[in-house]
Amino acid sequence: MSNMKLLEIKSLNKSFDNKKVLKDINLNISSGKIIGLLGKNGAGKTTLIKLINDLLTPTSGEILINGKKIGVETKKVVSYLPERTYLNKQMKVFEVIKLFKDFYEDFDDKKAKKLLKELDLDIEQHLTKMSKGMQEKVQLALVMSRKADLYILDEPLSGVDPATRDYILDTILSNFNEKASIIISTHLISDIERILDEVIFIDKGKVVLQSSADKLRNKEKASIDEIFRRMFKW
Amino acid sequence: MVNKLLKYDLKYMIKNMAIFYILSIFFALTTRILFNMEQSAIINIISQISVGCMFAMIVNTLINTIMRSWIRFRDSLYKDESYLTHTLPVTKNELYNSKFIQMLIFFFISFIIILISLFIAYYSKENWLAITNYIKTITTGLNISTLFFITMTIIIIFLEIFNAIQCGFLGIIMGNKMNNSKLGYSVFFGVIIYLIAQAIILLLVFIYGLFDSTVMELFKTATINIDVKAFKVLAIVSSLLYILIIFIMSMLCKKELNKGVNIE
Repeated sequence: MSNMKLLEIKSLNKSFDNKKVLKDINLNISSGKIIGLLGKNGAGKTTLIKLINDLLTPTSGEILINGKKIGVETKKVVSYLPERTYLNKQMKVFEVIKLFKDFYEDFDDKKAKKLLKELDLDIEQHLTKMSKGMQEKVQLALVMSRKADLYILDEPLSGVDPATRDYILDTILSNFNEKASIIISTHLISDIERILDEVIFIDKGKVVLQSSADKLRNKEKASIDEIFRRMFKW
Repeated sequence: MVNKLLKYDLKYMIKNMAIFYILSIFFALTTRILFNMEQSAIINIISQISVGCMFAMIVNTLINTIMRSWIRFRDSLYKDESYLTHTLPVTKNELYNSKFIQMLIFFFISFIIILISLFIAYYSKENWLAITNYIKTITTGLNISTLFFITMTIIIIFLEIFNAIQCGFLGIIMGNKMNNSKLGYSVFFGVIIYLIAQAIILLLVFIYGLFDSTVMELFKTATINIDVKAFKVLAIVSSLLYILIIFIMSMLCKKELNKGVNIE
């Protein structure tokens, strides 16, 4: 596994009005890892992810992907699954597949169709006629059908039943480019613990811990879930 | 990439506008057919309803072209869909250009549909003659060619509407920079920007008038007795000024977009 810096965040701050939401974030993420971005609700996980994806503008600091500032080139290598349904609901699934094929050079439409079939989704169906859960599955299939360098999945398991959670995790594991890294943001730690190589704990807008998952488990003699509960006990 | 973006913007617009185009032409056809039928009280009532529906659809076509351009702009750049839009490997300039070209294309299509609807409903030799005579009266009075008059009128109407739509785009960009009441601020900024743009155009015409006495007469006299030369100059100068304002506004929109967005 390469140690090249895939994602570099330097002194990143984000404020809304006068409220500081992210405070002096410094992070380095290398290729070939599955990283859990963990924190309580409102800790700043989604804000950080949105900054990496150009959906928010930093108040100060810098974000680099493969050494490049956020822009067209970085968007070519980042595959992002937001926490909400974001596809134009007037479209049919196959039209969305075409859209991804049109814009992302690394998109594999055959893989997307295969995944959608496995998920029992009809590509002729209108998104508007699908439940929120089905739309989320469509989005996951599209995002995981790219051969990206960095996959960013924001709460991919929220609002999903436990059986489907396992299926989604297996889908993620069996479909991502092995040289790539995945950042998974969630508060459902026990569900994703088994797949994590690294963890980042974020609290009140600050990174409070970044460690290898195994090292942390061995050091604390506890699961990541237990460590998280201890650390963020009310 | 603009062509790819444009493809999806146009698809969105056609899905939303097609119904107005179809209904506009449909009611134009029914109006035509009903006018040609033997008149009775019932036919007369139905004809009036058909005429009312046709004009409602024509107005809807025009208003929806403008409103849908704004809604598409806002949804695509600031609502849920923006999570996809801003993560596509395209520049902010390309995003803006696609929306702008889509607006130009659809306004042109809507204009043609409106003309076709009116033509279907009302074309007859007598009506055609009445319209051409009316235009001739104006153009003879102004001592300008009919072609010049029609061309300039259409150009100025188009430019005025493009300008208004673009003021809306800039208003949406500015409004979405605020943390609260984004829609309210978008409307507020849009109206303010439009008024400022109009004031600038008027000011520039006035400045031009300082060097052209025929144009300055428009600011000095209360009667609307436009001099022939002044009309020609005014039409050309105001068109050029509109183009300049639209260009500057477009640059401002791109500059503001390139500063970055903050999506909720």
